[in-house]
Amino acid sequence: MKTGKKTSLAATKTTLGPPGFHGPNKHWGPLAAVILLLGALLLQVFVPTVLAESSTDGKSGGARPWSVQVDRVDPGDVSLDPSFGAAIYESLLEELTKTEQFRHVFRSGDRNANDVPGLLILKTTVKKYTPGSETRRAVTTVSGATKLNVRVQLATRDGQIVQEHVVDGDVRFIGGNLRATHNLAHNVAAALKKSSLSEQAAVLPEKETGNMSK
Amino acid sequence: MNRNPILSSRTPMTSFQVGHGLAFLTVLLSLSVASIGQNQGEAQSPDPGSAIHVTEVLGFENAKHNATGELKLQYGVMQFQHDGSAAVQVSISSIQDIFVEEGDKQVGGTAMALGKTAAPYGGGRVVSLFAHKKYDFLTVEYLDNSGGFHGAIFQLKKGQGETFKKALVANGAHITPPIERTPTQNTLEVKDENR
Repeated sequence: MKTGKKTSLAATKTTLGPPGFHGPNKHWGPLAAVILLLGALLLQVFVPTVLAESSTDGKSGGARPWSVQVDRVDPGDVSLDPSFGAAIYESLLEELTKTEQFRHVFRSGDRNANDVPGLLILKTTVKKYTPGSETRRAVTTVSGATKLNVRVQLATRDGQIVQEHVVDGDVRFIGGNLRATHNLAHNVAAALKKSSLSEQAAVLPEKETGNMSK
Repeated sequence: MNRNPILSSRTPMTSFQVGHGLAFLTVLLSLSVASIGQNQGEAQSPDPGSAIHVTEVLGFENAKHNATGELKLQYGVMQFQHDGSAAVQVSISSIQDIFVEEGDKQVGGTAMALGKTAAPYGGGRVVSLFAHKKYDFLTVEYLDNSGGFHGAIFQLKKGQGETFKKALVANGAHITPPIERTPTQNTLEVKDENR
C-alpha cells in the first residue's frame, strides 16, 4: 500500500511539476489529459441541460389541451387474431403515453374520461392483416413477414374527425409476430405527433363547447 | 515443384475451418434439441385451481412485459405472480372475454439468435427449422375498477390454454359465443397473400 501511495505521489509530482523541469513531450501529455478531462466534464454538465430544454420544448411547455381515449380495435372485415387486437390496443396506450403529446391517455370505457375537457377518441380499424411466421422468417429471411395496415382516426366526442392516418406495422426479420403490433403502435404515435394537433386545438375547443352546451 | 507445399499448407487450414463450423453447428443443434425436449417433457395439462407457469406477454395491469411467473385462480380472482415479486390480480367477474390461440415461436432467446446468426454456411437456418415450439396464447379481456378495458396476453405451454379457459368460465368469467363470419373480400385477400 505504501509503495503504491509513493508511486502515485511521484506521478502527481511529475505531472504537476514545473514546465522547464521536463522535456516537451512529458509536459504536454498531462496538460492534454487535463484539457480532455475538463472537456468531458463540460460535456457532461451542459449536454443534459440542453437536451432537457429541447425535450421540454417538444412537450410544448405543458400546453397540452387534448386528452385521448383509445377505443378498442375494430377488426373490420379482416379476420384478425384476438391477441393481435389486444396487443395493438395495449401498445397504442403505451406508445401514446410515451410521446407525452396528450395530457391524459384513457382506456376505452374509462369513466374518468367522461368529464375531461378536450377529449379526443382514437378509433383504429384494421384494413389489412397478413399473419406471418417467425420460423419461416428465421429459415428463409425473405418470407414469413407479419404485416398490419390500419386506419386511425382522431375524433371529437360528437364524431367530428380531427385527423386520419393510414399506418403500417410489419415484422420482417427478427422478432415474434406480436412485434408487428408494437411497431404499428409506434408508427401511429409518431404520425400523430408529427401532425399539428396544437394548431387545430385553438379552433376545435370552441366547437366542442358549443356542442356540449346544446 | 512449388505447388505441393502451398497445397499442403492450405488443406489443413480449410479442414480445420470446416471442422470448426461443423462442431459449432453440432453444439447449436444439440442445444436446440435439448431445450425442445426439456419443454416437451414439462408440457402437461394444468389442474384447475393449481398454479401454472406462464409468460405474461403484455397487457396485465402492473405486470412487466414478458414476465414469467405463476398464474392461478383463487377466491374469485385470477392472480399472476412474477418470480419473487408481489402478486397482481383481477376479479374473475370483471373478465369480458377469453380467447385461446395456438402459436409457434423460436426457442433459445437472444443467445440462440446470436448463435444462429454467427453460424457459418447458413447453418443457423437449419437450426431454426428445429428450434421452434408451439405454445398456447391466452387472451383475457377484462375491465378495471373505473371501467377501463384491458387486453392481457399470456403465453402457456401447448394444451394448457383451453383447460385454463374452462377453469375461468367455471369460476364465473364471461365469454361471448363465437360469431360465424362469412368470408369477405378482404379475408380472401389475406389468404391469397399467404400463398
